[in-house]
Amino acid sequence: MVNKMRDFKFIDSSKKMDKEQIRESLTYWKDVWRRLKKNTIAVIGLIGVIIVILFGVVGPMFSPYYFSDQITDFSYLTPSLDVFQITDTEDGDLENYFVHLNNDYRLFLISEDGHIIERLTRTRVDRSIWTYYYDYEGEEIAVDYSRRVGDEYTGDIDYTVTYEGVETLYPTKTVWNKTYLLGSDHLGRDILCRLMYGARISLTVAFVAAIVNLIIGVTYGSISGFKGGATDNLMMRIVDIINSIPLVIYVILLMVLLNKSNMWTIILALGTVYWVGMARLVRGQILSLKDLEFVLAARTLGVSQGRIISRHLIPNAIGPILVSLTMMIPTAIFTEAFLSFIGIGMSAPAASWGTMANEAISLLEKYPYQLLLPSLAIGITVLSFNFLGDGLRSALDPRLRKG
Amino acid sequence: MAKILEVKHLVTSFFTHLGEVQAVRDISFSLEKGDILGIVGESGSGKSVTSLSIIGLVDDPGEVVSGSVIFEGKELTKLSDRELNKYRGNDISMIFQDPMTSINPVYTVGNQIIEVIRAHSDMNHAEAKARALELLDLVGIPEPLTRIKSFPHEFSGGMRQRVLIAMALSNNPKLLIADEPTTALDVTIQAQILDLMRNLQAKMGASIIFITHDLGVIAEICNKVIVMYGGKIMEKADIMSLYEKPQHPYTIGLMQSVPKPETGQKKRLVPIKGSPPDLLKPPTGCPFSPRCEHAMEVCLKEAAPLYKISKTQFASCWLHDKDAPVVKGFVKCESVPDEETEVLL
Amino acid sequence: MKNYYVRRILSAILTLFIIATMTFFMMKLMPGGPFARERPIPPEILALIEEKYNLNDPIFVQYYKYMAGVVQLDFGNSYTDVGVDVTEQILLKFPISMRLGLYATILVVIIGIPLGIVSALKQSTWVDHAAMLVATIGVTIPSFVVAVVYISLVAGTLGWVDAFGLDKWTSYIGPVLALGAYSLSFVSRLTRSSMLEVLRQDYMRTARANGLSKFKVLYKHALKNALIPVVTYLGPMFAAIITGSFVVEQVFAIGGIGRYYVISVAARDYTMIMGITMFYAAIYIGMVLLVDMTYSWIDPRIRLGKSSGE
Repeated sequence: MVNKMRDFKFIDSSKKMDKEQIRESLTYWKDVWRRLKKNTIAVIGLIGVIIVILFGVVGPMFSPYYFSDQITDFSYLTPSLDVFQITDTEDGDLENYFVHLNNDYRLFLISEDGHIIERLTRTRVDRSIWTYYYDYEGEEIAVDYSRRVGDEYTGDIDYTVTYEGVETLYPTKTVWNKTYLLGSDHLGRDILCRLMYGARISLTVAFVAAIVNLIIGVTYGSISGFKGGATDNLMMRIVDIINSIPLVIYVILLMVLLNKSNMWTIILALGTVYWVGMARLVRGQILSLKDLEFVLAARTLGVSQGRIISRHLIPNAIGPILVSLTMMIPTAIFTEAFLSFIGIGMSAPAASWGTMANEAISLLEKYPYQLLLPSLAIGITVLSFNFLGDGLRSALDPRLRKG
Repeated sequence: MAKILEVKHLVTSFFTHLGEVQAVRDISFSLEKGDILGIVGESGSGKSVTSLSIIGLVDDPGEVVSGSVIFEGKELTKLSDRELNKYRGNDISMIFQDPMTSINPVYTVGNQIIEVIRAHSDMNHAEAKARALELLDLVGIPEPLTRIKSFPHEFSGGMRQRVLIAMALSNNPKLLIADEPTTALDVTIQAQILDLMRNLQAKMGASIIFITHDLGVIAEICNKVIVMYGGKIMEKADIMSLYEKPQHPYTIGLMQSVPKPETGQKKRLVPIKGSPPDLLKPPTGCPFSPRCEHAMEVCLKEAAPLYKISKTQFASCWLHDKDAPVVKGFVKCESVPDEETEVLL
Repeated sequence: MKNYYVRRILSAILTLFIIATMTFFMMKLMPGGPFARERPIPPEILALIEEKYNLNDPIFVQYYKYMAGVVQLDFGNSYTDVGVDVTEQILLKFPISMRLGLYATILVVIIGIPLGIVSALKQSTWVDHAAMLVATIGVTIPSFVVAVVYISLVAGTLGWVDAFGLDKWTSYIGPVLALGAYSLSFVSRLTRSSMLEVLRQDYMRTARANGLSKFKVLYKHALKNALIPVVTYLGPMFAAIITGSFVVEQVFAIGGIGRYYVISVAARDYTMIMGITMFYAAIYIGMVLLVDMTYSWIDPRIRLGKSSGE
């Protein structure tokens, strides 16, 4: 046997305690936050949500426009402008000007860095040679689109610009529209600005409606769950009946009924209908919590029913309630956009993303950006809230932890 | 008697994102035909993982790191999942702790038993059904003819466990591993299930590994016992020696913490202070040392080898070393050398 | 068991009755009167119209006459397009929408479910992450965004297909995709999480311990259990497709009933609105009823129905 020098001395208890391993404890919410932070998608969602909120709340302050300001002359301008350089040689100093032709053959004078100076009047048209003529400081600018018309249209040259005898075949460069950063709509309103106001509308509607639904839903659900028995049965029957057809239909009918389309009617319509989901959820939670011992203890101590509900039961159900709330927001945003899109939501000149999309749908072929931009706004906002809500749900439910 | 199962130096770990959790840290034991071996230990001692390791059901992120499991001369750790399937439910069967959730709720009980039978034999449906009825009767399910068409939720917990036992026994296994089969049941049902298992074992000549944390159950049906703690074997012995003269501080502590109504005296229950070790950072030395009242310096540094108390009793504790101080109740003896390949108990 | 079925059917009929009543009274409350137009209508014609639409009768008589009509599936004539029969229009336009809806459903089942299963089996691998990212996006992007992006990209920039109408078979791709995108994503996420839940269950361990082949274990034991929540979703999926159709048909210029509903709402065509609403309600309730009844057959634990979920 190998003779190792082993130490057979007894040790006192203090040394043993060191060997005891204790994992550090986390409070419930710290743990939730930790899990949420680790979830990349949820963090992306959170960032998205913050950006959208800032966009809507603070954004308009930075815009030189109001959402209804319109300059019809400047309508239908895209965010990126192909410009042709025209050189004014008369004055001797080579000041460079640029012109931009939009899809309706309107010609605009653009500064070098992209500001829109003015719209140039079309003086005459010569259809035999497929040319439009515009007036610039007494001189004529000719736009020849003959190549586009013939069968040999290769897509290479759409039109050429001729000024003072110099014909430019291709756009000189592409500049960002500095006057209307995301372009202008069919009435000459700044799209970026309208998107920001749209964010305000969407967020306001969503948050207020969500809170209304929260209050109604939680109250209804907790009474139903707590009382139990016949009351519960009846209350849930009513919920079932309401739920038996898609909720959107109610909202549509309510909007028709109310006949006035503004933010508050929409909130009212949403608030009247969407609380049922929350009610059912809260009822379920209360049902599973109310038989637990701490409730029994509270009752024995004579705590009133209302207090039991508000101070004991609801705080314990706060997890699912919170998730449900977070998910109500994108639903509300989407529903409002949806209503406006089909024509019974906000009405002009209100800048709801839905109305913007609605107004732009007929322009899809020529000016897709007008429809694309509000749609993306809706998509990104809803996406962010959903990511966040999803992440919250995973973070709050320990069972769903992966690995 | 021939050894039906030999486990040698088994090491099983779980490779999680936090690190390697060593659930089973070098354990060895053997089973002879007809043995009922009890594996006793707290939660986290590694007893369940040991049994899963035997039939290769350790799931990601866990795996058997090293060691061997020899069943009837065949090395199981080297077999593929498919090859192991031929043993599972056939020569080696396993039943688990919670009967309420262990049966598939959407198929009838008969369907599931027949499925196991046909998976390991050539019987056709009618033959398998006949066998299934036989089994239901064997495990004590009343009115098997009607019950075979019932769904699991129509059975009580005890009945479900019987169904699971029927499934496990359907192909006459040589080895039955029961992982806490009675823990989730009432004490009265527990007694019935234990009776059942005892009878079946006598009738079919199977060997059983019975995993539990309940010393009372061990005393009821086992003839050999292994005491595990912190992923290691603290003591292994025949049942009489273990109860009459336990030779490990942990075993002694376990015995003292269980109420014994027979003594008639009013004695305090003596719990073992402290909590089980964190197997993510496994302690060097003996895992029980932080909680042991006889701990010595060497215990913290080095894990003790197995000391041979007798032909049928071994304990892994430094107190048995000739150089260690004398403590009442602990005999001095020789240790089993590391090079010893044969598993002696 | 039969009791349960009978009860459900009666319950459905009662619900429809309540909804019809609600719709009726809602329409009666419409402000501005039924015939407030820009151009004032001469009083004699107004009287005739009021006679035809029973507007002079006391409210209960009107109600009775309306309900009598509903039971016979007669919803009267359009308010705005005089002479156009509501029921006729519904029957005319409905099949188009139904076909689209059916294709969308097939898409969801054929792609959504397998996607979810594969993701669950290969959990935490890149396959899983990629599939779930796509699914999460699909679930959050509203159908008209999908429609718009599809049109500007595939029809516009790439020019592969026609943007509007349903002339060629390729025209179906866009609308079906836009209609089904949400549900497809939802179903694949649902299948995945359900499958993951099922795979963790103790009875899966039992099946493996009994030596059953991997195939059997998966397709027999896991799948049936995993699909139970998916079947439950079929009802709401139907609702999603209905509401989706309002927008998708508008964007793709398809003459289905969804678009017609929107037009009727915008035009305040009350009888048409009522008729189509009832129609949708009936179909939806019928669909949910069907799902409910098959559900108790699929999951043997739910034999006697529960009235209002947990």
